[in-house]
Amino acid sequence: MLLTRAVEERGLSLYKQGRVTGSFYDGRGQEATAVGATFALAAADPVCPLIRDLGAHIVKGTSPAAILGHYLGRAQGVSHGREGNVHLGDSERGVVGMVSMLPGMMPVAVGMAWAFKLRGEQRCALAFFGDGATSVGDWHEAMNLAGLQRVPAIFVLEHNGYAYSTPSSRQFVVDPLERAAVYGMAGVAVDGNDVEAVFEVTREARERALEGGGPTLIAATTMRMHGHGAHDDASYVPAEELELWAGRDPIEGQAARLRELGVEVEAIAAAVRTEVDAASAEALAMAPPDPAGVLEGVFCEGEARVVGAGAAPWSGFAPA
Amino acid sequence: MSDERRIEIVMPQMGISVAEATLLGWVKKLGEPVAIDEPICEISSDKVDSDVPAPAAGRLVEFLIEVGATVDVGTPIAIFEADQAVNGASRAQDAKEVSASEPSQAPTADDAPGRISPVVARLAAEHGVDLADLAGTGAGGRIRKEDVLAAAAEGPAADAHGIQAAGTDSPGQEDARVSEGAYVPPPREPLSLMRQTIGEHMLRSLRTAATVTQWIEVDFEMVQARRRATGITALPVVAAATIATLADFPDLNAWLDGEDYTRHRDVNLGIAVSLDERGLIVPVVRAAHALDVDQLAVAIAELAARARAGELHPDEVHDGTFTITNPGQFGTLMATPVIAQPQVAILDIEAITRRPVVVDDGQGGETIAIHSMCILGLSWDHRALDGAYAARFLSTLRARLQAPFET
Amino acid sequence: MERVRAGLMERTYLEAISDGLRVALAEDDRVMLLGEDIGAFGGAFKVTAGLQQEFGADRVFDMPISEEAIIGGAVGAAIVGMRPVCEMQFADFVSCAFDQLVNVAGKLHYRLGLAAPIVVRLPSGGGVGGGPYHSQNPEAWFMHAPGLKVVAPSSAADAKGLLLAAISDPNPVIFLEHKYLYRRIRGEVPDGHYETPLSAQTVREGEDLVVMAYGAMVHAALEAAESIPEASVRVLDLRSLVPLDERAILDAVHDCAKVVIVDEANYTCAAGAQVASLIAQRGYEDLDGPVVRVATPDVPIPFAPALEQAVLPGAASIAAACRELLAY
Repeated sequence: MLLTRAVEERGLSLYKQGRVTGSFYDGRGQEATAVGATFALAAADPVCPLIRDLGAHIVKGTSPAAILGHYLGRAQGVSHGREGNVHLGDSERGVVGMVSMLPGMMPVAVGMAWAFKLRGEQRCALAFFGDGATSVGDWHEAMNLAGLQRVPAIFVLEHNGYAYSTPSSRQFVVDPLERAAVYGMAGVAVDGNDVEAVFEVTREARERALEGGGPTLIAATTMRMHGHGAHDDASYVPAEELELWAGRDPIEGQAARLRELGVEVEAIAAAVRTEVDAASAEALAMAPPDPAGVLEGVFCEGEARVVGAGAAPWSGFAPA
Repeated sequence: MSDERRIEIVMPQMGISVAEATLLGWVKKLGEPVAIDEPICEISSDKVDSDVPAPAAGRLVEFLIEVGATVDVGTPIAIFEADQAVNGASRAQDAKEVSASEPSQAPTADDAPGRISPVVARLAAEHGVDLADLAGTGAGGRIRKEDVLAAAAEGPAADAHGIQAAGTDSPGQEDARVSEGAYVPPPREPLSLMRQTIGEHMLRSLRTAATVTQWIEVDFEMVQARRRATGITALPVVAAATIATLADFPDLNAWLDGEDYTRHRDVNLGIAVSLDERGLIVPVVRAAHALDVDQLAVAIAELAARARAGELHPDEVHDGTFTITNPGQFGTLMATPVIAQPQVAILDIEAITRRPVVVDDGQGGETIAIHSMCILGLSWDHRALDGAYAARFLSTLRARLQAPFET
Repeated sequence: MERVRAGLMERTYLEAISDGLRVALAEDDRVMLLGEDIGAFGGAFKVTAGLQQEFGADRVFDMPISEEAIIGGAVGAAIVGMRPVCEMQFADFVSCAFDQLVNVAGKLHYRLGLAAPIVVRLPSGGGVGGGPYHSQNPEAWFMHAPGLKVVAPSSAADAKGLLLAAISDPNPVIFLEHKYLYRRIRGEVPDGHYETPLSAQTVREGEDLVVMAYGAMVHAALEAAESIPEASVRVLDLRSLVPLDERAILDAVHDCAKVVIVDEANYTCAAGAQVASLIAQRGYEDLDGPVVRVATPDVPIPFAPALEQAVLPGAASIAAACRELLAY
């Protein structure tokens, strides 16, 4: 979580310096949900992160330098300059990058999980999405198919109360969590700012999926502490609401818990700062992509590569 | 002006087989006084150029075709006005008189269709077809791809600007001055009609025939001995030996036209004659097989002289059955001559050189001697015959040329 | 086993597609079929009849009416190693899954280096009284989206060969199968596995004019060519729209100099417009007349036969265009 926030802070800084072009989105305040849920996955379980889920990439093993290089649009960034901001995904590490049409990756996650079930593999797929995305047909179609086929999938709702600027009260009448039963799957509510709680419900959901219990909808309640993007001052969010959630910062909460256990959190934070400084320098030194290759790779020539396995820190697994 | 004084000049028939001819240029301007029989224009058919003499004393009053245009024999090309009414017995009898009220048939630049499609423009440029000369068969007279290809297949049309009319103004020549310092690209000049014609024939041959060239080295000691004794040069000697050898190799004295193969009994021997920069012409010694070597030498010399003087009759370049070319006079060693269609072979005589050769010493051994040697090349059409046949021909020809000469 | 030992068997266009699916299911465990009513029912057109019984309900899936989930699910399965073949009940309905094709499947490889080897079968085309929502030819929508291949067979043999080629392809392939041809066209179809290259094919020789078409229009073009005995009319079956066989198109223009391009799709921005653009840009100097297009006007396909026939190109309208261009 510290690394997630540090990388995003550095990215935002680079953006404000004009070195990152386009737009910039971060997930400040939501780090616990992405990190906690992804932490519960095995190496071979693919994840489909969304806008606020940089932590999922980091847990899966994507390096801070590769992420910062991606923000900068450099050749050695995750997307080699072909994608920007939060549209990254190192598929060799089991991360399938998002599209802007939300929640476009929900059906894809269902398809992956379905294939695992058909082949009898002990794997599951996890997809993140926001409360706003639950209004889209894709979401319902994916939930319906997942329930129907009882696929080993985990759907993590990051319920931060705003779809861009529109509050949930103007998005839907029935809370998305209540819809889990409608689609024949388990529904679990969790404090999205408690990384250990998120981890625990995800671990249970994964076990249920692998045992044939079908998919689980996890509704993680959290708060987006920045605007939708760096271009959004979030003035539509009442100040008192932000103040309330500032007191529930997921990193502060976990740091307090760790200090009680005797962990030297400040040392970890210092190490993270050093790592991000080095990553930032490395990313800024990366070359821009060569326009000569801009037309290449529209089509796959040769064998289709499949989604690979990423890091699984919890299980001690790390990719080569 | 009385109608009796107007004479229509028509394109003459330059030989019995000629169907069309091209106007190379006007020798006389409109209105310029002309004496009877004085040339009024120059024309060209196939490979022979000619002039057209005035039918009477008088003057040209109207040009009916443009310089460079190729028209059918008999087509009116100009209106001539005689100084005096022409009698029925005058030499104007060949020319039909026309009424002044008869509209001119001459095409003008304005007749060229306005809409030229991309492929028509490209093909016309590639084949040297002047679109102004083409009548289109498409909608509204539009020139179609097929029209250009048909025109190209009929032979190259003359470039309307290619031949400067003799005696007419030529303002363009003044522009050739070189200004100081600046690079002035050399002028792009149109290929002469003769070059276009030769090029078309050569290309057609290479496209048509499966041309193979074989060479054989011949000891010319006996040929040279004959020349010293009789004064007859190598060409007639080789020609006579070739004609004699062809009697045993009838497949080579032949025409191949598509799938029609004609083996000739007579040898009509074509002799390639260089016209220096102007080009090349191949007059034909008819019934050459009936001539002995002395007669052959005379016939060849006479034809070559008239060819160089531009005095050949058009029919003297037709109907060859076998051709000899003789570039060796310039010292060259080898060539791959192109067969004159529809013949199936051409013999090439290269330079006669003095070289050391291994010879019989007359005592059952060998020695090295200095002999006159010559390489003969034969290009032949693999559609008509095969290599062994051609090789046997060359070998037999060599034996004949190396046979002892007896005075 | 109904498979014949001989190398060839006479089959309808529809049977050829069924056979292609059967061959793919039999030889490759990764192949799965997804579609609405394709299982016990055998599909709206019976293309998949008997396949669920033969290969099981865990290979041939009856899907909920959710084109987005069918194609999105297929993309997910494909990127973890499956080879899904999706059936849209009618090509018209693929618009519901536009996002998954255009924004997910088509861009995956360029963005993430991740190929999505899926095939989406689209029973397309009119002439069957289907009306505005059962007659469309949506190929141009997908030609415009990078990363999607688009093929449209006209013969039974090509229908099977292109289908198997599409299934082998590591990219998403839109497979347009023309409803009008399903039972009207039959031909000798090789047995077993073979693949038809994604390239154009000359189906009738000629040198005065070339008609370029694909799908059902190939047959209309052939009929039109036969009706003009006085001219030598070539017919080029494009077969693949992405990739477009540019060499074959330009060669045909070079040879014939006059070209009529036929689309059954609506005129504006149809596949033929792309072909015309190619010719205008790179075949210009070979042209001996305007590039002529025959296509359905920009109207929805009406229901009543009299109205439908009034808008769809056919042999008569193609022949008329040919005659006019030949006379140019």
